Amino acid sequence: MAANTDIFLFSEKPVLQAELISAAHTLTAQTGGQVIALVLGPRPDAELAFKQGAQQVFWLGELPPDRLVDDVVPTIAAAVQTHQPFGVLIGATVRGRAVAGRLSARLGVAALTDVLEFQWEKENLLARHMVFGGGAVRVDRPLTQPVIATIGSGIFDASTSLTETSDTIQSIDWVEPAWQAKLIERRARGGGSVNLAIAKRVVCLGRGVAQQEDLAMIEELAQILSAEVACTRPLAEGLGWLPRERYIGISGAMIKPDLYLGIGVSGQAQHTIGMSESRVVVAINKDRNAPLVAQSDYAIEGDLYQVVPALIRTLKARKGK
Amino acid sequence: MKIVVCAKLAPDASDIEVRSDGTISLERAEWRIGSFDLQAIEAAVRLRELNGGSVTALSVGPLRINNSKLRKDLLSRGPDELVLVADDKLLNADTSVTARVLAAAVQKIGGIDLVLTGEGSSDLYFQQAGLQLGELLEQPVFNAVSRIEAAGGSLNVERSLENETEVLDVPLPAVLAVTTDIHTPRLPNMKEILLASRKPVLEWTLEDLALADGEKQRVETVSLRAPHPVERKRILIEGSAEEAAEALTAYLSKEGVL
Repeated sequence: MAANTDIFLFSEKPVLQAELISAAHTLTAQTGGQVIALVLGPRPDAELAFKQGAQQVFWLGELPPDRLVDDVVPTIAAAVQTHQPFGVLIGATVRGRAVAGRLSARLGVAALTDVLEFQWEKENLLARHMVFGGGAVRVDRPLTQPVIATIGSGIFDASTSLTETSDTIQSIDWVEPAWQAKLIERRARGGGSVNLAIAKRVVCLGRGVAQQEDLAMIEELAQILSAEVACTRPLAEGLGWLPRERYIGISGAMIKPDLYLGIGVSGQAQHTIGMSESRVVVAINKDRNAPLVAQSDYAIEGDLYQVVPALIRTLKARKGK
Repeated sequence: MKIVVCAKLAPDASDIEVRSDGTISLERAEWRIGSFDLQAIEAAVRLRELNGGSVTALSVGPLRINNSKLRKDLLSRGPDELVLVADDKLLNADTSVTARVLAAAVQKIGGIDLVLTGEGSSDLYFQQAGLQLGELLEQPVFNAVSRIEAAGGSLNVERSLENETEVLDVPLPAVLAVTTDIHTPRLPNMKEILLASRKPVLEWTLEDLALADGEKQRVETVSLRAPHPVERKRILIEGSAEEAAEALTAYLSKEGVL
């Protein structure tokens, strides 16, 4: 074991930060160290980490508006080298993946990505994640320390039981990166921010939905169900009908809602990896042999252009009663 | 612009066979160019078409990647030459070994302005090798790049994040991992397929790259198994749309999820 048993964590997303804190506590339960949040952002963000259960907060300062989150890599690397934690957990956003990869190369250690679960085999840490597009589960053992791992949204539940913490925020000196890309502009993308990981009900569109105009009908259904609208990868990436953060599956959102309703979703492993933990799964598909039908609790075999409007009418009538 | 594009040749994940004990076999899987790497090749070739220069395809992996079919497949998509680092020590290379071998190869090729990679490999999809490569080369490195335009000595780059787009001016030399929607990869035509067999292929060994402990694994795989399927009720609802909608509503109401 390393001399130091603390766990660092870093995420640009406060919601994910809470989940990483919870994940870090599961590790320190074994290592015996402290959960230390590295926070980049305004000071209230650093204070939030205590409320989320961090035992120490290293504040990396506020990012100037013209700088990139990626510029934090040398600062985190320096903090890791000084403090020598057992592990560093990083929120698996696009930027988080970049930070994790660059940090591991810089430190000469392994990076474990999209970890779904940690296990211990005596004193050895093991990490479980999916490979082959969701077709296989691989358990890996890192041979180097610190252990760098990325974790996506919705994998660990944010802890609600607060631990006793000091509330002294320790400021960490900023280390200037050796190179810098110039930020020309940031453009918001449509669809608004959403956290599918905490949604209770999700209506998911697949390639069976013929055209973008049909989204209106799906949105109406989602509204009646108080559900979030999600999609499979091609609809977000190839077609751009929905923003990227709304696609479910490998490299996208991992969800575990009470109700998942897949409309025209075939059910490729790359997608089902992200929704297989849903409590009740419903498929609407014209093909009863679609893989999702075999992985659903209830499947309607039929034309979605008839079934969805009928479902909207039925649900409306039920609400009216 | 002198460009290297990295492509992983890997077993096709859709050819996985699950054995009765839950372990998986890739013995019969066909090896292909990673589906996320095809877009990187296309992006490299388009940059050359617009700005001149050259494109070198680079692939590292076990000996079986060095076969005429895969070489031809890579070169028919537009690169000018191919560098292969094939060694069975790389069969289960982790991301840090892959990045170290790629970095050594890029340095040996020399004078490279831009390295492009796909978003992740088609088999493991850890999305790490390109990022680690950039850091090892001590060059600017970004992932999720969805547009690249040459602008003098630098690149104007769009990066697609979860709910915003960053527009960046990235100084060269640099390493960029591109998204799957940056371009639709072209299908090689007959002329390009014929031309491919005449393009140079450089075959390097790990010894040629003189890696100091570059093959040292930092991750050990403990197990690789098919995921446990979740038990589902599998009730198929038939009948008219109205009947089906009524039936489903009743079921969901009983489940308490409405």
